[in-house]
Amino acid sequence: MRLRLAAAAALAVTMTACAPSTSAPATTASGGGPTTGALKVWLFDEPNRAPKEAVVKEAITEFTAAHPETSVEVQYIPVDTRSERFKGAFNDPASAPDVVEYGNTDLPEYAVAGGLADVGPVVSGWSEGADLAADAKASATYQGTLLGVPWYLGVRALYYRTDVFTELGLKPPATLAELATTAKTVRARKPEMFGVAVGGKYTFGALPFVWANGGDITSIDSAQSRAGLTAYTGLIAADNCPPQNCADLTGGKTVELFASGKAAMGILGNFNRAAVDAGAAKGEYAVVPLPGLTAGSVAPAFAGGNNLGIMKNAQRPALAADFLTLLAGKKYQTKMYDAMGNLPTLKSASAEVAAKDAFVKPFIDTIDAGTRFVPLDPGWGKIDASAVLPTMIQKVATGKATVDEATTEAAKLIDEALKK
Amino acid sequence: MRAGRRLLDAAAVVIALITVFPIYWMVLAAVKPAGEIQSLDQKPWTLAPSLDAFRRVLAVNDFGRYLLNSVLVALAVVLISGLIAFLAAVALTRFRFRFRTTILVTFLIAQMVPIEALTIPLFFLVRDVGTVVPGIGLNTLGSLVLVHTAFTLPFAIWMLRGFVQAIPDELDEAAQLDGAGRFTVLWRILLPLVAPGLAATSVFSFIHAWNDFLFARTFIISEADLQTLPMALLVFFKPDENDWGAIMAASTLMTVPVLIFFLVVRRRLVAGLGGAVKD
Amino acid sequence: MSRVRTRAPLWLLLPAAVVLGGLFLYPMYQLGLLSVLDFTQAQVSGGRPTRFVGAENYTRLFGDDRFWSVLGATVLFAAACVLATLAVGAGLAVLLTRVSRIPRLLLSLAALAAWAVPAVSGSTTWMFLFDTDLGFVNQLFGIEGFNWMYDRYTAFGLVGAVVVWASFPFVMVTLYAGIEAIPKSVLEAAALDGSGAWRTFWRIMVPMLRPVLAIVVIQSIIWDFKVFTQIYVMTHGGGLAGQNLTLNVYAYQQAFASSEYGRGAAIGVVMMLILLAVTLVYLRALRRSGEQL
Repeated sequence: MRLRLAAAAALAVTMTACAPSTSAPATTASGGGPTTGALKVWLFDEPNRAPKEAVVKEAITEFTAAHPETSVEVQYIPVDTRSERFKGAFNDPASAPDVVEYGNTDLPEYAVAGGLADVGPVVSGWSEGADLAADAKASATYQGTLLGVPWYLGVRALYYRTDVFTELGLKPPATLAELATTAKTVRARKPEMFGVAVGGKYTFGALPFVWANGGDITSIDSAQSRAGLTAYTGLIAADNCPPQNCADLTGGKTVELFASGKAAMGILGNFNRAAVDAGAAKGEYAVVPLPGLTAGSVAPAFAGGNNLGIMKNAQRPALAADFLTLLAGKKYQTKMYDAMGNLPTLKSASAEVAAKDAFVKPFIDTIDAGTRFVPLDPGWGKIDASAVLPTMIQKVATGKATVDEATTEAAKLIDEALKK
Repeated sequence: MRAGRRLLDAAAVVIALITVFPIYWMVLAAVKPAGEIQSLDQKPWTLAPSLDAFRRVLAVNDFGRYLLNSVLVALAVVLISGLIAFLAAVALTRFRFRFRTTILVTFLIAQMVPIEALTIPLFFLVRDVGTVVPGIGLNTLGSLVLVHTAFTLPFAIWMLRGFVQAIPDELDEAAQLDGAGRFTVLWRILLPLVAPGLAATSVFSFIHAWNDFLFARTFIISEADLQTLPMALLVFFKPDENDWGAIMAASTLMTVPVLIFFLVVRRRLVAGLGGAVKD
Repeated sequence: MSRVRTRAPLWLLLPAAVVLGGLFLYPMYQLGLLSVLDFTQAQVSGGRPTRFVGAENYTRLFGDDRFWSVLGATVLFAAACVLATLAVGAGLAVLLTRVSRIPRLLLSLAALAAWAVPAVSGSTTWMFLFDTDLGFVNQLFGIEGFNWMYDRYTAFGLVGAVVVWASFPFVMVTLYAGIEAIPKSVLEAAALDGSGAWRTFWRIMVPMLRPVLAIVVIQSIIWDFKVFTQIYVMTHGGGLAGQNLTLNVYAYQQAFASSEYGRGAAIGVVMMLILLAVTLVYLRALRRSGEQL
């Protein structure tokens, strides 16, 4: 038997070969390609996607009317598995889509992977390009190259149920500590409800707690970060949002909890408005900035936002540029605001929206109070994809580890990923 | 009849019912109206069956197309892998040659390879092959046929070997004395006799290709038209609220072709497994 | 065509050799190669040259507590699934030989149906049956709100149940065919000697079924050790804080989510070696007791 095994092994070894070949970085694409055929577009899937889909359909109708013999194929990519999909597309130039929506946190990773095309020339040749806010543009730039057109901004604030608060005689919390007591009061008085919807996988719901306490992702094992994390995980408990229900929730699921009326508060984004309005909470809620440690302060929010980019390996770069500028233009940014609550990135659109709708105010206030961002480093993509922070939160929330143990472990992984 | 026997009969029937219960539940949930699915009081029957969930599945997500893709891939794998395995099994049983046992052991070892881990090198391999031979690169159904053929082969050869062995040598010797060429012996004599074995083997190949969602997910990157069923099924798991009715309807649609396939080859499968083990 | 030593029937083996060589052996070789390289997204897109790192992927893996905990869970989970599958399958095979025609037909058809259900469909169906609020099982037992996926052991238990449900039919049908092939006279003689059912099974059936059992055991080990779909679908890729990760899912995540292709490959190699070792030990034991491969 041993001899036969050796022979089998020898057979395998004598196969001569080399490591998987690597693809050479392609050249910048800002024009050219066929001007007919199917344009492939990837957009993010959303809780309650219908309004987004309707706006996109409208844009497609306009686009195909202006570009004969074209069609637009949109695929909605689930956010939590986007990483695998994008990497697949980067690794195989032949099957890349043309236009993609991506989160600004993913930018460094995608940039280093060399998957996105320089859209600088597209924007400078675009009539509305000058209308882009400078800081928004900066958020789509990596090492001097513009790799996308900012499509919308997203910040999170505190949604609360006005009817429930009136009934129980509560006021919107002025500090994070008050948030916890208010949440527990709701849960105690209305046991069928959660006080504030929080989730073990809701990183951007947890980070404001860390930031408000003076901590940060890069120092997740510091005393300040630990204080913030203790406050957040303290909310995943039987007296607010029991771990059996909440430890595995993503941000999207907390949106659903609030929208369906199962939670009295939720840390949701401006872009979740459509989902909330589609649920039982419609018309019975108001929004305030998520409070900080002291009364009157605002917990720093994560400066989220999504960009529209063109893949470096796009088959139809010229068509892609046309579709991108159409979808990112003022007309559709405004429509997307109406449909989803997405904050526009074009200055004129933003001003128009702020003037006509009071809903925007708490979000603008939150932005004005100062926002924070994830480490601008390709390593962040890895931290995100391997769920370092959610695992940390879940371990604490389910009692598998103490805050100290979980943060020490996470800090090690974060350091490792950022060092590379 | 004795009481003991009756007790055993009853036990067998109860176990059979428990075994099919999840399948019953799946079909039931697929035809329940939406209100009964979201209910906190689930009933094991429904008085108002509806095909709404099936309509949702078939209309919204191009499910018919995915079904066709899956059927195409699975059938192609069954045919190609069956044919190749048949030839190899004949070689391994009708001839004695050096390394014969080595090759057999290799086939056994090949089954131990965690194919999920092979997605990594295969991804790059298929990508590179696709640049040379169009039709089997990434984003094509051909790539799926190719890898599943490879993964089903070791087990298929291993299983078919027993069937070929069970056919008496005298048969092909007699045919050869009658002047039949090797080719004729292979196609006219051995193939028909091994047919039950091929049917049994095809079940495993079919299931393997049909069930896969890992390769479909990894290889079919951006061609929405080329998705296969398991991928499409996961589409109904939403970030907000799972549409259980649609999920169960999709699951039902996915199960039906396999069930049909099983019923068609049932007798041969049971006889086949018996034949393989008598070896 | 006779069973004599002749020149190798190359043309018969050629198609299998081409397919397996190209799509199995070569990728296996590359898997081994990847496992000793620093191969991440930067290398794939050509941004950085690939670098030989020797055993670094392995040493880092072995120095990682997470890996050991996943490995332990994988081995225990697979062992439990194999034992449960064999026990259920063998028990029902014996039961089949002792019941009347109709119950036998019903049980066979039920088992075939369970066998036919694709892994993804089976997983989703059981998830719905055991759903926290909408699940029939929770409502039946009056434990609405109980989340089966919250606790590590109940989650593994549920996934294990699905695995056993899907894989016992193969064992049952194969063993039943094997038992039917045992000459009736042997079993009758045993009965005449006053041997009970339990004793007959262990003393007569098991020894006679050894070759069949070998196939069934090896296949079960291979299949259950590599369970992927059920874990991936039912626990959403590894459960709360990764508590339900198995090596297979872990390797896939390391490779495709974290872009650590080298480390993912190393996990794959380790898995293969473990399977190989287990199977070889088993085959050896078989040979000791005088069986031919």
